[in-house]
Amino acid sequence: MSSVTLRDLTKQYGGNAALSLDSVNLEVAHGEFVCLVGPSGCGKTTALRMIAGLESVTSGEIEIGDRVVNDLSPRDRDIALVFQSYALYPHMTVFDNMSFGLKLRKVPKDDIIAAVTDAARILDLEQYLDRKPAQLSGGQRQRVALGRAIVRNPAAFLMDEPLSNLDAKLRVQTRAEIARLHHRLGATMIYVTHDQVEAMTMADRIAVINLGKLEQVGSPRELYDSPANQFVAGFIGSPSMNFVPMHVESVDGGIRVVSAGGDIDVTLDDAESAMIRSAGVSDVVLGIRPEHIDNQPRTGRGLQMRASVEVIEFLGNDEHVHLSSGSHELVAIVDARAPLTIGDSLTLSASSEAIHLFHPETGVALK
Amino acid sequence: MTSVTAESPRVAAPRASRQRGWWRRNWVSIAFIAPAVIWLLAIVVYPTIATIRFSLYNESATKFVGLHNFGSVFSTDSILTAFKNNVVWVLIFPFFVTFIGLMVAVLTERIRWATAFKAIIVMPIVFSTTASALVWRTIFDLDPHVGVVNAIEQTVSDWFSTPGAYPLNSAIGQTAASLASFNATGGSGGTLVSKSIVQPGGTVMMGLTRVSSLTLQTLGAKTPVAPQKIAGGIAGLVWNDFSPSQTSNTTTIVSDEHGLPNLRLSLVNSTGSSVASTVTNASGDFSFSHVAPGSYHVEILASNFQTSFVGTFWLGSQSITPTSGLNQTAQSILSVPLIDLAMIISYIWIWAGFAMVLIGAGLAALNREVLEAAEIDGATEWQTLRRVTIPMLAPVLTVVFVTMVINVLKVFDIILNMAPGSSQGPATTLALSIYNDGFTGGIHSGVASAIAVILFLLVVPVMYWNLKKLKGGSP
Amino acid sequence: MTIDAPVKQSRVGRLAKRLHLSKTVVNVILGLVAIFWLVPTISLLVISLRPESLFGVSGWWKVFTDPSQLTFGNYSTIFSQGFATGGVLDSLLTSLEITIPATLLVTMISSLAAYSLVFGSWRGRDWIFFGIVGLMVVPLQVALIPVVQLYREMGNLFGLNPYGTIPGVIIFHVAFGLPFGIFLMRNFLTGIPRDLLEAGRIEGAGEWKIFYRIVLPLALPAIASLAIFQFIWVWNDLLVALVFLGGNVHSPLTIFLYDQTRSLAANYWIVSTGAVVSIFVPLIVFFSFQRYFVRGVLAGAVK
Repeated sequence: MSSVTLRDLTKQYGGNAALSLDSVNLEVAHGEFVCLVGPSGCGKTTALRMIAGLESVTSGEIEIGDRVVNDLSPRDRDIALVFQSYALYPHMTVFDNMSFGLKLRKVPKDDIIAAVTDAARILDLEQYLDRKPAQLSGGQRQRVALGRAIVRNPAAFLMDEPLSNLDAKLRVQTRAEIARLHHRLGATMIYVTHDQVEAMTMADRIAVINLGKLEQVGSPRELYDSPANQFVAGFIGSPSMNFVPMHVESVDGGIRVVSAGGDIDVTLDDAESAMIRSAGVSDVVLGIRPEHIDNQPRTGRGLQMRASVEVIEFLGNDEHVHLSSGSHELVAIVDARAPLTIGDSLTLSASSEAIHLFHPETGVALK
Repeated sequence: MTSVTAESPRVAAPRASRQRGWWRRNWVSIAFIAPAVIWLLAIVVYPTIATIRFSLYNESATKFVGLHNFGSVFSTDSILTAFKNNVVWVLIFPFFVTFIGLMVAVLTERIRWATAFKAIIVMPIVFSTTASALVWRTIFDLDPHVGVVNAIEQTVSDWFSTPGAYPLNSAIGQTAASLASFNATGGSGGTLVSKSIVQPGGTVMMGLTRVSSLTLQTLGAKTPVAPQKIAGGIAGLVWNDFSPSQTSNTTTIVSDEHGLPNLRLSLVNSTGSSVASTVTNASGDFSFSHVAPGSYHVEILASNFQTSFVGTFWLGSQSITPTSGLNQTAQSILSVPLIDLAMIISYIWIWAGFAMVLIGAGLAALNREVLEAAEIDGATEWQTLRRVTIPMLAPVLTVVFVTMVINVLKVFDIILNMAPGSSQGPATTLALSIYNDGFTGGIHSGVASAIAVILFLLVVPVMYWNLKKLKGGSP
Repeated sequence: MTIDAPVKQSRVGRLAKRLHLSKTVVNVILGLVAIFWLVPTISLLVISLRPESLFGVSGWWKVFTDPSQLTFGNYSTIFSQGFATGGVLDSLLTSLEITIPATLLVTMISSLAAYSLVFGSWRGRDWIFFGIVGLMVVPLQVALIPVVQLYREMGNLFGLNPYGTIPGVIIFHVAFGLPFGIFLMRNFLTGIPRDLLEAGRIEGAGEWKIFYRIVLPLALPAIASLAIFQFIWVWNDLLVALVFLGGNVHSPLTIFLYDQTRSLAANYWIVSTGAVVSIFVPLIVFFSFQRYFVRGVLAGAVK
């Protein structure tokens, strides 16, 4: 197991194309599970393939362990890659699929058998060793792809959206299996996905990438509680954070942030007011997660909102309520036991810790 | 539309009007397919059955002869030759054309000018096999002034050994020694050496025979002059010791004999090393001056007798396999005429593009990620090709291979047009036999039909298997 | 102008670049292969452009050192012969007379039959289709002798014996082109949604109109592939023409060339020019419709 470090990693296809990756810096510690997340086309798969050596580096460095591997071919980097489509050798049995890499490296036959049976046991594949991929289900094929990687005992595991071809139930199951595998092997894992739920549940740290740029790296909690910008805030968490454009007003020496129409207003304390003042903006974007909106009034610092109910989605324990506040629409998650009907006028609030304020142009978090 | 009666809607209309209804609804559809069906029945289905029948009847189709024709097929040398040639074709052609198609398809992925390249390779398919056969016939022509192959062979052979002025006829196994007539004997390494020993101040005369008058004419040979002694030197004469007027005189010069010009000579001392060299003049005379005292022989160098270029008769029926001692039938079965190779090469030129296109399509359809997985697993490019790409291509490769087998079982045009008259018989194939037997000199149906039936039996299972594979592959 | 099946070119290219056989080596190898492949065609062209007198005296490759050898003399001779019987142009015409009707008939009859097989509602369609496709395995050598006889019978019965005539050749070619043609067209037509026909029927169109105005225009790519394949196949055929036209006064180019090789004197000027002419036509067809040709080859792996 090794660490993996990306330094100012940049990728450009062709001379004038936009940068697929723009100066990404990331350090994955030895044994850490890091997720690269972002929307389709953001560059996360490109980054993974560059670590694997399947794409060339335009500028920057990739280190595996303490070696700079930019010029090494994939076979010399000691990494294993689990493909989205599994990429199993269709003409070989499961056993041969898993042992192919070892055979190429001229590992003695007995060692091969030991390694493969070991991996097969961990992944519950022992009875399938003689089958060909075509005779396996999707979930089984995925495990064979994992097994192929495990057997190699690589410095790092790279995984490219391995769960996206599985159905929902299998996905949940396999998520847990991969997490378990990580703990059992203590392996360095870099995992690419567009699904933030996977990232939040499995990763030690998450790297959010958008349009080639690294937006933020941090633990799931950090990303949830303190998103660095509006993009990260909106990407993490489901249902996603509500955003409302607000106007900054100076009042009584403090700062108040109100929505157009005044149905939503936020009162800040001195420290927070100072931050906003120093940012020198007259408008901000308010961010508040649906789960943090309470259906009760509040006084003092924090957010107050008047809104009327437009749509109610009953989910058993909770209700997702679509509200309209002035001309703004928000979603709130409330306890289902409180009776609500469409058209109700509500007074809602949120604590000041749950409030995020973002710069209207750059999207950077101001609070 | 038949109307539905109000009282009993579930009662089916009587049979006649049901049929009429069906016909009325479908007659256009039937009419659409009728021409094809009739055409096929008349020209394909019926004739196939008829041929099977013909094969069981005699040549004029009047008497039932059972399997007699088939017996003739397997006991006629010319037809056995045809079988053998088809076997040769099947063993060599499909493999190589698939192999070349594969190699080319794989390499073509790397270059920018792939489209142009593919067009070049595929192009020969649109030429008629007849035209292609003619082209390749000139390429393989024996004459180095016509055939590229022999021209190259000649250039290469001239590089290594320029022909001498007096080339031996290798076809009849001539050696330098056989040319010796007077005071000459065969030496080591194809040379001719004087029998007599000569010392400075002496003369030596050597007579050869079997030199063609054409050679003498070309070299401008003149009447030989008896050599004059040279003090401190050695003089001599090499002449063609054959006088039409005095055929028995093999020791002296006769006036209608000729000297032998342009012969490269070497003066060899008693220890066997050469001390001087010279060349005879137009009348065959030569001299060595300032010779140190000692005893010498005169050596006529082997290079003088170097055979001139004899081309390779690619279009000929000489066998590659050693079959000279065998009887006629055995030879029919075991000899492999050289022209088969020449024709196979030409046929590969025509069809490799087909293999390349099909395999190229199969290659493009491969899951790239599996190849990347192999690379990550540690495979070199050659290992990936051998252990992953080719096995994954197995279905396409098989279809190509089998299609080529079928193609070659029916090969006809190229032999008819590429083989010169003398090679037609030894190079014949089953399809050609059907034509020759059935259609030359009138129409004979018995044996030709038998061959056709055999061809049919060979081709059908292969094609059927191929079709199943294709259908299995496509949705 | 593309001959490739659709390919993720950039990804393939990127993969290929990482493999170890250097690009220059590959380019050199393939360059040599391309030259080798072009030599025969070029040799033919050059021979046809050199005077007959040089043949056998100096190799055609000498033209690179002495380009003045090139002349259009042979071609002008051909053209001055005009359409005189036994000349190259006469054979060209005969080839066209055989190939064009054969191609048209095969495409038309195959399309009609395929339409019936795909959109008809009579039972047994699938069986008939399998039967027809199965006929693809029959080698045409098997049918030659009986068809000659059949022609004779027709002559006895109707006074029209197609043996030795151009229609006789055409009939045979069409028959053996149908199984493949129907296979190709039928597979293509299954991809046309029935809804289009339903819409046409609702608007009052009869079957023929639907076929002619809706299905046929949509089927043009397949028809083009089939037509090209058939054209080249029939154009280049020798055996069928030999059997059914053997002694005829007008012979197609293939027989014309074949006759030249049989005659004792090697008239290379006429053989080479004739060959060039015979190659020229399919080459034009090929280059104009390359896309369709490749599709036809891919589908025609059975022929």
